Amino acid sequence: MSGAFFPIATLSTSLVAAAIIFLLPEGALRARTVLNLAAAVLKIGLVAWMVRGLSQGQTYAVEFPVLEGLAFVLRADALGIMFAGLSSLLWLFTTIYAIGYLEDSPNRRRFFGFFSLCVASTLGISLAGNLFTFLIFYELLTLSTYPLVAHRGTPKALAAATLYLRFTLTAGLVLMIGMVALHTLAGDIRFGQREILAEFGPEQRGTLIAIFWVLIAGFGVKAGLVPLHGWLPRAMVAPAPVSALLHAVAVVKAGAFGIVRLVYDVYGAELSQALGLLTGLAVVASVTILYASLRALAQVELKRRLAFSTVSQVSYVILGIGLFGPLGTIAALSHLLHQGLMKITLFFCAGNYAEELGIHRIDELDGAGRRMPLTSLAFSVGALGMIGLPPLVGFLSKWYLGTGAVQAGMPWVIAVLVVSSLLNAAYFLPVLYRLWFCPGPDHGVGKWPEERHLGRFETSSWLLLPALATALFSVMAGLLAGLPFTPLEWATRVANLEYLP
Amino acid sequence: MSQEIFAVLMIAALLWPLVLVLRQPLMTALTARGEVRFPLDSLWATAPLPALLLALLGADGSLSLSAWLLGGVWVLDEPRRVLLAFTALLWLLSGWYARGYLAGERDRANAGNGAAASRLARFALLWPLTLSGNLLLLVAEDIASFYLGFAVMTFAAYGLVIHSGTRDALIGGRAYLIMAVLGEGLILGGLLWSVGALGTLTLSGLREGLGNLEHGVWIGVLLWLGFGVKAGVAGLHIWLPLAHPVAPTPASAVLSGAMIKAGLVGWMATLPLGESAASAFADLGRAMLVVGLVGAIGAALLGVCQRHPKAVLAYSSVSQLGMLAALVGTGLLAPAMWPALAPAVVLFAAHHGLTKGVLFLGVGIGEHPPRLPAWLLALLLTLPALSLAGVLGSGLATKWAFKAALYEGDHSALVTWLSLAAVGTTLLMARTLWCQWQGEGQARRDGLVPLAAPMPLAWLLLVVSALTLPLWLPALGLAPAWPPREELFGLWWPVLLGVALALLVGWLTRGRPLRMAGRRLPAGDLWWPLSRGLSRLWVATGPWLVRLAAAKTAWVAWWVALEEAGISALDALGERETWLRRHAAVLMMLVAVGLALALLFSTA
Repeated sequence: MSGAFFPIATLSTSLVAAAIIFLLPEGALRARTVLNLAAAVLKIGLVAWMVRGLSQGQTYAVEFPVLEGLAFVLRADALGIMFAGLSSLLWLFTTIYAIGYLEDSPNRRRFFGFFSLCVASTLGISLAGNLFTFLIFYELLTLSTYPLVAHRGTPKALAAATLYLRFTLTAGLVLMIGMVALHTLAGDIRFGQREILAEFGPEQRGTLIAIFWVLIAGFGVKAGLVPLHGWLPRAMVAPAPVSALLHAVAVVKAGAFGIVRLVYDVYGAELSQALGLLTGLAVVASVTILYASLRALAQVELKRRLAFSTVSQVSYVILGIGLFGPLGTIAALSHLLHQGLMKITLFFCAGNYAEELGIHRIDELDGAGRRMPLTSLAFSVGALGMIGLPPLVGFLSKWYLGTGAVQAGMPWVIAVLVVSSLLNAAYFLPVLYRLWFCPGPDHGVGKWPEERHLGRFETSSWLLLPALATALFSVMAGLLAGLPFTPLEWATRVANLEYLP
Repeated sequence: MSQEIFAVLMIAALLWPLVLVLRQPLMTALTARGEVRFPLDSLWATAPLPALLLALLGADGSLSLSAWLLGGVWVLDEPRRVLLAFTALLWLLSGWYARGYLAGERDRANAGNGAAASRLARFALLWPLTLSGNLLLLVAEDIASFYLGFAVMTFAAYGLVIHSGTRDALIGGRAYLIMAVLGEGLILGGLLWSVGALGTLTLSGLREGLGNLEHGVWIGVLLWLGFGVKAGVAGLHIWLPLAHPVAPTPASAVLSGAMIKAGLVGWMATLPLGESAASAFADLGRAMLVVGLVGAIGAALLGVCQRHPKAVLAYSSVSQLGMLAALVGTGLLAPAMWPALAPAVVLFAAHHGLTKGVLFLGVGIGEHPPRLPAWLLALLLTLPALSLAGVLGSGLATKWAFKAALYEGDHSALVTWLSLAAVGTTLLMARTLWCQWQGEGQARRDGLVPLAAPMPLAWLLLVVSALTLPLWLPALGLAPAWPPREELFGLWWPVLLGVALALLVGWLTRGRPLRMAGRRLPAGDLWWPLSRGLSRLWVATGPWLVRLAAAKTAWVAWWVALEEAGISALDALGERETWLRRHAAVLMMLVAVGLALALLFSTA
């Protein structure tokens, strides 16, 4: 089959699903569920097929001109397909979770419609072949996420969504200015055509550096770089599946992925290093990591703590980009996936506690390990992975970041990593202590804020199974990191493409 | 023996404890509601058995698993076999002992005490998990597996430390965890830095390359201190005397006997001992030596002031590990000596592991004396103490082993210092026995029920295997020599001096001033001033943090105000526009009139 079919088909699974969901009536519960799941499974199949084809050397691309010298390009390269794989896999789990989570709540048609649209934009971002296409989907993502954040319709949710929109729309504007500037300077740069900017002479260096930082400022809002992270902790008022999607796959990751594309596929790692941009990125990332970890320590609400943890952990990706050399690149790319697996597990679990027991604050978690052992186990896996303990995936990221730092000649980054690990331990271990070691309502001390019995197991299986599955993935991807098609192995493959001619 | 059997034994040794971990929730799920099952059944106690078999039957060999983490390599060689054997034996017998020790919990659980039941279930779950970490770090040759084993052991053991859930246990557990996390951080830093610089994935590659690395000595310092948290290096030892007395006795035994040896194993696996190394490593060795001796002697001085026998024993562990650290430091200082010193260090580790295990288990025996004649019980409790002091059995052989090696390398000054530390050990042992004797008298007066059969049996077996360590170790490839008759006085004088001192102090004071000192020097010494100081610091920084938050709020408010000003300016603009629109006709008229007038006058 032709190479144009697969990118379009993958993109349109979610788009068509979104369209049909908007057409279906609100009460068509079963049809919507089947459609959601079928689209998710179909998309995983299509992406898996492209992964297989790519590793056999096939190409998947489609493009058509929009204006003179400006084209709309969809292309599946190794890096893009990695991100597409992550988003389609986690979309399946999030869809299952969302179906369970939103049971008996109003406006489900709107929710799932925009949900599908949001995933379609994420997929578009991952398959985009130049900055122009990237920007289109990037903006689409911004708009399709707004109804999800505002879903509950409470004043708090509306305020958070407005704040989100103000941050991201201004960032989109900045991004567009940067893109236009780059376009005037160098024309349409396809991702991977690193030689275009590399050929510019020293007199253009100042311009290139300025454009780079303008674009970073644009991407940095979604990636939650300090001080542009303000919207992220507020946006956690959204329903749990949305938070999970926002933090693990869609919005935050789109920002980080944009920076990945900018550095590796537009500027190229070598030019960025020569212009001194990478060191700047590493410094910004280090500041973000430490600042957000400190802020996370002070939070008393579970989801807010997780949100600050996201700010900190996503900057590991940026830090990895800042470390020049294959090891740093492997760290950045693999952490893009690893962080997604761990953080989505944590948000699923936080949602489970909220749904089943009405728990929102950390000090209400006492003894929840006895009431909800499997959820708590999954949460522990995610938390220990965030601290960076083996055999979980977080350890691998930290390992490559540390060794990459030495390779890049920046051993001070190791100190940042160690301090960050200590801070992570300081804000996650007390939560685990409360879960497992403090006596709680099931030991006869106090009572749950709002207990419901949602299912035959500790909670509804729709909520429990996705959390367990992603936790299992983050254990297995770490424990058996040497197998082919694990995140680490694929990241190594992409990094080799970048550094080996 | 073929490679396949080796692989099966190796995997079984590491997997069996984990299978037993998974069995616990399964059995709980299968047990009918209302029925209470004793989770520490005899199958549970077999967790370390495959590892013991591996140590006894396995030939030298290695197992590589490319899919495991970053590439797993698990190795069995001579030092590892000895370490594995004593670790597995200690865990096996302590586990058996625990079945008796926790029988009281079982009775409470059977009587419907839910808290006791969940404590038991937790113990049954975490004990094999901790064990699996301990075993993995011993056989691991790749750095990732080693770190995995170390981390699993460290964090799972937290649950064992706080088993009882009392206030003291929580404080002990907090000290343990805080120090452990700090240690993990230092180790991680050292490992990442060295691995990044060397590009190796194995411990032997790290050890061989570290010596000649630029900044290698700083990596060495990180690793020394990181593993030093576990090995109770003076200053980082504060968790030991806090965590040991509160943990259940079998857990204290494995903590002090097997787990703190992980620090020593870490040093031996990563520091460039016996390799040609940059001269800076000699300075590191000197530092290790001096700090080790400070710990060895200082811990003895602090330990004799303690009242709880387990706290005394914990300080004794700090002291013994200080001696070991001094020996490892000597290996860095004089690399040529390491080949002779290494077997002595391994022997020391095995001897201390088993003997300290016996002494800890003996504390439990002393608290609940079995039906044995008092003189026999006293003898059995005294023998391991004498062995640790170096009078007989494995202690004598160990002492001779490192003394001979040090004399050969012409380090007689160090021998004197170590002898001084041995005087301290004797005092500590005397103090332990004194505390135990008093405790036992109390127990007999209270008329406690003698405990179930597993306890004395496991203890007796461990007494025998610890004392006869030099007799069965040759079967594992390490043959310690007995000292010649004319050297005996040289080995015994510290003990004689120590006994004389102990008697003198005991006669002079009859216990009172020591008790005063015990009040002034609580277990955990530095922990208390440190935690007080930190909490005061926290209180002092409070206002600053508030000020910082206020500054941030003010900054945000400034921006919001700016925005509001902008909006109101826009509003004002809109109002002007409205005004303009309303009066457009008049204005236009005025303009037209003005223009006409201007035209008129200009032509005029």
